[in-house]
Amino acid sequence: MGAAVRVRGLVKKFGNFTAVNGLTFDIEEGEIFGLLGPNGSGKSTTLLIIATVYKPTAGDVEVYGHSVTKRPDEVRKLVGIAFQDPKALWVDNPYELLVWHAMVVGYGLLDARRAVREIMEELEIWEHRGKLFSELSGGTRKKVEIAKLFLQKPKVSIFDEPTAQLDVTTKHRVWEMIRALKDEGRTVIVATNDMTEAERLSDRVGIIYKGSLRALGSPAELKDRIPAGDVLELRVDGALGEHVISALARALGTEKLNVSNGTLKAYVNRGEEKAAIAIETLSRLGVRVRSISIKEPTLDDVFFYFTGAQLGEGK
Amino acid sequence: MRGWAIAIISLRDLERFWKYKWWLAALVTMNLADLFVFALIFRGIVRKDILPDYFLFLAPGIASIAAFAAAFTIGREVMMELRRGFHHYLLSLPISRSELVVGRIAAGMVRGIIYQAPFMALLLALLGFPGIRGMALVSLATLMIVASMSSLSIAASTLVRNLELQATIRSLLYFIAFFLSNVFYPESIIRQRFPEAVYAIIENNPISIATTIYRHVFLPELAPSAEVQLLLAKLFLWTLLLTVGGAQLYARNLER
Repeated sequence: MGAAVRVRGLVKKFGNFTAVNGLTFDIEEGEIFGLLGPNGSGKSTTLLIIATVYKPTAGDVEVYGHSVTKRPDEVRKLVGIAFQDPKALWVDNPYELLVWHAMVVGYGLLDARRAVREIMEELEIWEHRGKLFSELSGGTRKKVEIAKLFLQKPKVSIFDEPTAQLDVTTKHRVWEMIRALKDEGRTVIVATNDMTEAERLSDRVGIIYKGSLRALGSPAELKDRIPAGDVLELRVDGALGEHVISALARALGTEKLNVSNGTLKAYVNRGEEKAAIAIETLSRLGVRVRSISIKEPTLDDVFFYFTGAQLGEGK
Repeated sequence: MRGWAIAIISLRDLERFWKYKWWLAALVTMNLADLFVFALIFRGIVRKDILPDYFLFLAPGIASIAAFAAAFTIGREVMMELRRGFHHYLLSLPISRSELVVGRIAAGMVRGIIYQAPFMALLLALLGFPGIRGMALVSLATLMIVASMSSLSIAASTLVRNLELQATIRSLLYFIAFFLSNVFYPESIIRQRFPEAVYAIIENNPISIATTIYRHVFLPELAPSAEVQLLLAKLFLWTLLLTVGGAQLYARNLER
């Protein structure tokens, strides 16, 4: 499949502030693409440009070959967005807002009412249908916002922080619903600063930091790119001699090994392959392995590695 | 441009119009008080040789003010949307910018026409049916005044990002349009009491033009010399200027 979205040299400035600085990447048709980055990194600005809400200062985005600058009307027919901050005015009620949204995206009135009821029941907000938006909790407002996209089902669905403010059960339900969009062949873009969400949902992840793309690939690929990112932890019978440690270091291709209290830790790439090599090497040297575990780096580690960001920087 | 897209955009604005019931009630009360309190009192005060019946003189002006005031409320919606970031949502919908802009202006127009309807009915009850030509003239004037005022208020609400300044601009425009008009005072008095420049502003204010057309239709003796074709041409120019300019400003200012 080809690219659904092509971002080329995208720049967005607000006065002297550069929010997005030369982004270039593709989003493949039918994938869930995670845009990962801290608050203020330029994620939302990028999404708003793809959704034709903002105009780029330089560069362009193409959605199924339609440029956001040259053919924005065509782009809007293909793209839908659920915003980070739910968009409604205090006098709106969720039901009216969603029925109206459904009609704008092409439903007839009766179909709109039926579809809105279904999605509101699925997200467990039907009981709130007649309340003023100002009376709703943050989580319910968020559900109303994402319900718009599940009604619309555009070819490219953009979710900006879709599960922020949602409880754990609903979060998992929403993830399932997002995966269902992908299963229907739709392209999904999820912006998040929740590493677990990015890892659980995304086929590929783009890490964006201070307006620039710092890394792009599947979560597994990105983890593998961290030098010696996996930790092999081996518990063995008896003490390990120097010759065993040297042989193991050579076999695993790493110098980062340490031993304490009968536990050996080796810092390697591609932990699963190296675990087999470690067991084979130790068996050959007559060392009995009692247990072995592999700890992969998390996306947190990936993020810190590629951005060079420090803990506490976001404060 | 697709008609249904424009209609759906307008529909939302209309639904919202009815949500401010108490505010609407206050607006109607204010306009009715202008007529049934202010005008009735002044009927006994104003010299009969200047105005034989101030109540009847004011009635067409109130219909004009009603259309203007209701059409102008659309700008308040636009301002609130900007404040809450709701315009981002509107900009992301699968409709073209021109459909969005025309839909919003049309919503202001429909608000003005609906709100004016009871005042127009009152005029018909008080002054009688003015004939087909008369009603056509009145309808044309109404359409143009609601289109121009809806566009003006929408444009004013997006001119600057500072929300306080935005509200000030809208209020200022409202008061200029309201007070620098011939709704409350006859032309002869305005000409006597105000400098020529101010008189020119009052005479060419779109609300004054619409009011003069209404008066010409309903009370020909009050505006016998009105050159209706010239007035319609002037109002058309205002409408063209304000709708085209307003639409462009709205579309341009919404997008960053």
